[in-house]
Amino acid sequence: MSARFRRHGDGVIVSLATAEVELLRSVPAELQTVLAGSSAENDPVYNRLFPSAYLDPTEENAEQEWQELVHPELLRERLAALELVATTLDRAVTKRGRAELELTSNEVHAWMGVLNDARLALGTRLGITEEPEAEEFDASAPDAAAHDLYAWLTWLQNDLIETLLGE
Amino acid sequence: MSTAPLEVEQPDVEEVVETDRPWIVIVWNDPVNLMSYVVFVFQKLFGYSREKATRLMMQVHHDGKAAVSEGTREKAEADVARLHAHGLWATLEHPS
Repeated sequence: MSARFRRHGDGVIVSLATAEVELLRSVPAELQTVLAGSSAENDPVYNRLFPSAYLDPTEENAEQEWQELVHPELLRERLAALELVATTLDRAVTKRGRAELELTSNEVHAWMGVLNDARLALGTRLGITEEPEAEEFDASAPDAAAHDLYAWLTWLQNDLIETLLGE
Repeated sequence: MSTAPLEVEQPDVEEVVETDRPWIVIVWNDPVNLMSYVVFVFQKLFGYSREKATRLMMQVHHDGKAAVSEGTREKAEADVARLHAHGLWATLEHPS
C-alpha cells in the first residue's frame, strides 16, 4: 500500500512531503506554458498531446473536421484539470512535516490526467525510450534535473494508479 | 390496402458498407505511458474487466498496437478522442 495515497470513499487522501508539494506546484504552470504556446504543429510535445486520429492520408478531410470538433474540447479539459490540481494544492495542510489533502474522485481524475500529461510532455522532450534509464546517472548532465523530475512523476503516478486499482 | 405506388426506399450503399465493416480503434505502443495506467484507462473508458484490459495492454506492449474497440466511424472517432484525452496514442481505421 502506498504511504502517499489512500482511498477514502470515492476519493483519495494524499500525504506528501512538503518538498514534494512544492515540486508538484510547478507542474501545472509549466504544462500551461506548453499548452498555451503549442500552436506550432511541428512541436513533438504538442503532437504527442494532440495526435492525429487518422493515419490514412486519404482521410485528410475527416481528420481536419475531427480536429476542429475535438481539439478545443481536449485543450479546455486539459487546462481545466491544471487549474483544478493547482487549487487542490492550495488546500494542503501541513501536519508534522507532511502536506495532507483530501481529493474528491473528480479531483483524483484531474491529478491523474495532469501527472500523465506532464510525463508525456517531459518524456517526449527528453526522448525517453523503453530502455531503462542508465544506471550510472550523470548528475552533471544539463537535463539531469528534468530526468529526476520525470522519474519522480512516474513514481507518483504509479502510486496513485496502484491505489485506485486497489493493489 | 392502398393502391398508391409504394415509395421504395433506395438503400444507401455507402451506409450499408459502413455498417458491415466496422471502424477499428487502434492503440499504439509508446515509451511513456505506464502499463498500469493503460490498463486503468481501458477499464475506465470501455468498462473492460481487469483481465481483458490487461490482455489488450500486453498486446499493445508486445505487438506495438492492439485493436481496442470498433463500431461506426462516429463511435470510433469518439473513442479516439477519449483515448487522446487520457494521453493514449490512438487512431481509427477502416480495414479493407
